[in-house]
Amino acid sequence: MGVIRTQLSTIAHGRSGDKGDLVNIGLIAHRMEWFPFLEKCVTAEWLKEIFADMVTGEVEIHSVPGIGGLNCIMQGALQGGGTIALRKDAQGKMMGQVILQAEIELDEAEAKKLGVPIPS
Amino acid sequence: MRDEGVTRIGGAGGFWGDQVFAPIDLLVGADLDYLTMDYLAEVTMSILAKQMARDPQKGWATDLLDWLRAGGISLLHEKKTRLVTNAGGANPHACAEAVLALACEIGWVDCRIAMVSGDDVLPLIDDVLGGGKAVEHMDSGDSLFNVRSDIVSANAYLGAGAIAHALEKGADIVITGRVADASLIVGSMLHSEGWATRSLDKGKAVFSLVEEWAPDDLKNPLDVLAGWTLAGHLIECGAQVTGGNSSDWEVIPNLADVGYPIAEISRNGDSIITKLEGTGGSVSRRTVAEQMLYEIGDPTSYMTPDVIVDLSKTKLKKAGKNRIKVSGTKGRAAPPTLKVSSNYRDGWFTAGDLVIPGPDARGRAEKTDLILRERLSDLEGIEIFTEFFGAGASLPIGLQHLATDPSEIIIRWAAKSQMRSEIIEFSRSIAPLVLTGPAGVAGYSARGRPREQLRFFPFLLQRELVEPRIQITMMQTLRLRLKEMDSRIDGVLTRIQKMADGEPEGLWRRRVARRVLRRLERPQVKN
Repeated sequence: MGVIRTQLSTIAHGRSGDKGDLVNIGLIAHRMEWFPFLEKCVTAEWLKEIFADMVTGEVEIHSVPGIGGLNCIMQGALQGGGTIALRKDAQGKMMGQVILQAEIELDEAEAKKLGVPIPS
Repeated sequence: MRDEGVTRIGGAGGFWGDQVFAPIDLLVGADLDYLTMDYLAEVTMSILAKQMARDPQKGWATDLLDWLRAGGISLLHEKKTRLVTNAGGANPHACAEAVLALACEIGWVDCRIAMVSGDDVLPLIDDVLGGGKAVEHMDSGDSLFNVRSDIVSANAYLGAGAIAHALEKGADIVITGRVADASLIVGSMLHSEGWATRSLDKGKAVFSLVEEWAPDDLKNPLDVLAGWTLAGHLIECGAQVTGGNSSDWEVIPNLADVGYPIAEISRNGDSIITKLEGTGGSVSRRTVAEQMLYEIGDPTSYMTPDVIVDLSKTKLKKAGKNRIKVSGTKGRAAPPTLKVSSNYRDGWFTAGDLVIPGPDARGRAEKTDLILRERLSDLEGIEIFTEFFGAGASLPIGLQHLATDPSEIIIRWAAKSQMRSEIIEFSRSIAPLVLTGPAGVAGYSARGRPREQLRFFPFLLQRELVEPRIQITMMQTLRLRLKEMDSRIDGVLTRIQKMADGEPEGLWRRRVARRVLRRLERPQVKN
């Protein structure tokens, strides 16, 4: 058994917003038992690499186990802040939906066992 | 079904500019104890402060009047729902005057409006800086001293205490300046659950720590405050918790008629998030979870002026159709500082866009951008940012491989400069591209106006510096004021009212009586 590749949206949903110059992306596993997948796939390094051109500061990930969620905080994500950003999406509202398109890798056996829909 | 022992609070708007009829819908369709409206975003206070500097009657969220005029004020009066809102912005006094005038128009002459102020800490800043203390940007650590002369406004996020005391003093409507969004709800709960009564009985100051107001037999007042705060956080963005902005947008029913949220909040801190019956949208664990994490930092330490909230172990459970029970939220004592939101002037900005067709839309767009930049290359202080919408503008570098070849593109430029003249020059250079660039460039609209940029500078101030400035001021009609001073005036007023209504006959007496009554509607302020 190997790994399967799928979109982050297969295992999670989310929403993003701003505070000053930071953007937070809240991600929640569709099922509580898939939360470990989410924790494994979404790391600070992974987000930093994907958003390398948009995010200049640190990235932190906080666990919210009660709802099977993660809060991803990205500093320096709005070109100095929502009120002066030159980007059209000055409040980072798109970023949450954008990251859900990213490809993740799951252990095939575990994914099957926990009922993650496998792309054909 | 209405549960006894819970307080029902509506969240009728997420920002200044949200759907104006939402509060009317909530007032008509639900029996609410309090209606809360949040109008203030990070930059709003600065815009309002600038407005007030130009016109002393402005500087508050005028959207409030739109729905109050459209029946809202009568509904508040008839249904005895208390309104708690931060629409006062930089000028709660002018806001309260306008609202009281509306109340009098519908004959609600004994309406009591409380204004909460003291959030404006601009006058404090020079004292603090002058005393040799450093004030640093909360995130970057930059010094406030360097930008002091460009600061437009500085407002501390006040907590729930003043709102609770204002309600306790009999306010039908509470109008505040910069109060933390969730504190609108927490303040209502402190009143509803009798904590405010206790605090007055015990002689507690308006700014004392609200956990000290709790009933003595309550073991975990901080957890209760945390639960109330989270309920406030969940409903303060309006329909974002009832199906708006949801990842489930494809299956959420009838978003056109989305219902706004209602929190049924218990004395123990738990709450049920629901929405108006018979409306569109949906309240599910998924919509509530998304809003729970919206615009928060460390989920174990969500900072508010009232309590530090730990929502990491919070549970969401279905409790009926469109009903989600929120429980398990924990709290710790609020920090010794208050967050201050300030903004300073930082140059000029404008934006413009054009559309461009294929084939090779990307090639045409890049060429157009290059031409514009070449033409402006002699401007030294300008920064131009280009986005190709349709061709992957939303995608960060790590997801660029997902961009597809588009059949057309919107080119969007934004520019900033410390020099207004450079922004005007930039703005003038966009339209000519239609005739002087690649084939098929279109879509030019009005020339973008230069807009002054305000840069956000959040910092912390010690509570004891801010708190003595907090003030509750009651505004009511002269008529009510006279009545409070001497209740015998009632008989006189009734006689004047009769004359004004035309009994006994006599045109002149009626005119005089009406004039007197109008005078009695004048706003009176008392501290």
